[in-house]
Amino acid sequence: MLKTASMPEAPDLARTLRARLAGFSGFLQANGFGVGGGDSSRVLLYAASQVGILHPQMLRWSLKALLCGRSSEWHRFDALFDAYFLPPNKKLFVEGARDTRSYRKPSPDESQDSAQAPGLARGGAGNHRQPSARYAASREESLEAVDFRELARAEEVCDIETLMRRLARQMKRVRVRREARSLRGRRFDLPGTIRRSIERGGVPLSVVWRDRRRIRPRILLLLDVSRSMSLYSFFYLRLARALSAELSDIYGFIFHTRLTAISEALRDADPWRAQEKMHLLAAGWGGGTRIGDCLRDFNRDHMARRVHSRTAVIIVSDGYDTGEPKILADALRALRRRARRIIWINPIATRSGWTPVSAGMQAALPHIDLLAPGADLATIKRVLPDIIESLR
Amino acid sequence: MSTGAQRMADVAALQQQLAAVGYIAERSFAAALLLMTELKRPLLLEGDAGVGKTEVAKALAVVRGTRLIRLQCYEGLDAHSAMYEWNYQRQLLAIKLLEQDDRSVAAKEQDIFSERYLLKRPLLEAISCTQSPVLLIDEVDRADEAFEAYLLELLSDFQMSIPELGTVAAVSIPLVVVTSNGTRELSDALRRRCLYQFVEYPSFEKELAILEIRAPEAAGELARQVVQFVQDTRRMDLQKRPGIAETLDWTAALLRLGVTAIGQDVTEAILETLAALIKTRDDRTAFTPEVVGRMAAAC
Repeated sequence: MLKTASMPEAPDLARTLRARLAGFSGFLQANGFGVGGGDSSRVLLYAASQVGILHPQMLRWSLKALLCGRSSEWHRFDALFDAYFLPPNKKLFVEGARDTRSYRKPSPDESQDSAQAPGLARGGAGNHRQPSARYAASREESLEAVDFRELARAEEVCDIETLMRRLARQMKRVRVRREARSLRGRRFDLPGTIRRSIERGGVPLSVVWRDRRRIRPRILLLLDVSRSMSLYSFFYLRLARALSAELSDIYGFIFHTRLTAISEALRDADPWRAQEKMHLLAAGWGGGTRIGDCLRDFNRDHMARRVHSRTAVIIVSDGYDTGEPKILADALRALRRRARRIIWINPIATRSGWTPVSAGMQAALPHIDLLAPGADLATIKRVLPDIIESLR
Repeated sequence: MSTGAQRMADVAALQQQLAAVGYIAERSFAAALLLMTELKRPLLLEGDAGVGKTEVAKALAVVRGTRLIRLQCYEGLDAHSAMYEWNYQRQLLAIKLLEQDDRSVAAKEQDIFSERYLLKRPLLEAISCTQSPVLLIDEVDRADEAFEAYLLELLSDFQMSIPELGTVAAVSIPLVVVTSNGTRELSDALRRRCLYQFVEYPSFEKELAILEIRAPEAAGELARQVVQFVQDTRRMDLQKRPGIAETLDWTAALLRLGVTAIGQDVTEAILETLAALIKTRDDRTAFTPEVVGRMAAAC
């Protein structure tokens, strides 16, 4: 397939370049690109033989179209191309070549964690495996009103998880107004019935109906794990984990002075390892909270991919922002335009005499749909139906 | 002549053909279009609204002298309305008419499920044309994930399964252009099957060239000033930045009011016509007479 005959003037150079080219997709993968698939390198070589491997500009344009998959890759491609193909003395400094947003690469925290994980799993998992449902049900009611600060015992934590999973199941499927074919429903579907009758020789034995379509809403959790939230963040991380075990379309981020994606840690099969992983991700950042800056970073890097018109954004924070309130207001306004609902859960709002006077809360209030106190399970339980309702 | 130089000439030729039908493409974009026609791979276009993603397919169809088949995606679009559907009413009628017929049941059945009763929707239409058409799958991110999965079979093998007829293979392989606005993350499987181009807002030179082709009445100084004003507008912190279509609309509006040059003296006319350029209320409030006057003076 390769046209070696078309490059007779420098066969050795061409062969060297082809070998180098074959390594390029691997280089991109190492830099967080999603290129892959069985035929990618074959197509790559074919394309290169077509476009003229020795013409740098043409090669760059063609490979860019072939190997990029999304806009973040598109904007980093040129720097990586230069770094790979230009001789070292011409190589420019590649800024952002290591994609900090890539979820593939384990952060130092994570890799350190996986080394520790077996020990943690052994220590934690012995007594606290999944509790039986019966055990959980008896305890549920009394747990509901307990402030998260006072919950420390491990079995209570497991009960919370069971309760949260039940709530999560309720929001798994929401019906919308649009209709689709279904086996039971409100309206008779003539085309569907005739179609079904084909397999029975034209006799309409089974009737097809139309009913309101079910959709899965998307949940986006933004959890504040700063020092002022440290009493509560453990329980919200647990809530996030329980929700993500039941819902498929949920994304989690934690923020402090910077923003970190935790969706991968949330999906870890081992609850204790996931918990520890998230704690290690959350720990080690000193200083105050910069909610505004973190939300602005979120809008820039993740909003286009993670927020759509049926997304409920749930922010859990006490609203003590050390950054500029205007940044927070602008970021929330931008987020509000795209998301279905913004729900702000504030754990300290349950304390008597609390009013949203902090500069952060003042800036946020005009842009959020629901401000809910959330220091115990009962309030969370009250808020969730609102969230489900708002997604319709 | 080496492959590279030959290739560059091909790309330049395609670029000129596109320009002749009113689409200004960068050299790199033309290179990707050429690669797409050779590899028979779909082209995935992403970018903000109004940067000319849909126009690409239209221009490509004119250049290649083929049909443009368009599938507009929307939430709830299912495989039937995109691929094919049986004409149930005609089938029912045919069953009634065939009752008097004395052919065998099998023959009658074959008749009822023949292509005469098949309503071709865009996707089936596209793979059954004798001359390969341009298939535009517009705003694929609005359709559901399930529909995206249906598309994969079509885009990788160019064939379609119809249970009653069997597998329909493509008569000719269409040139597929897929556009997305980024309201939903597309699957990696779809991305991997496509060539990719991210379409940016046009540069000053490109937008000027577009304006000169599409609105020749505004040629010269006015075109330059209009483009400068729009480029300045895009640099502002707006909810909805104006696209190329807005630039053309606005130019037409200015011409209608008899504006021949943008300056502080025509601030009033600019304010009256801003509706063509600025599409949200919040953005409109940013354009006070003072701001517009300053921007116009700078043009």
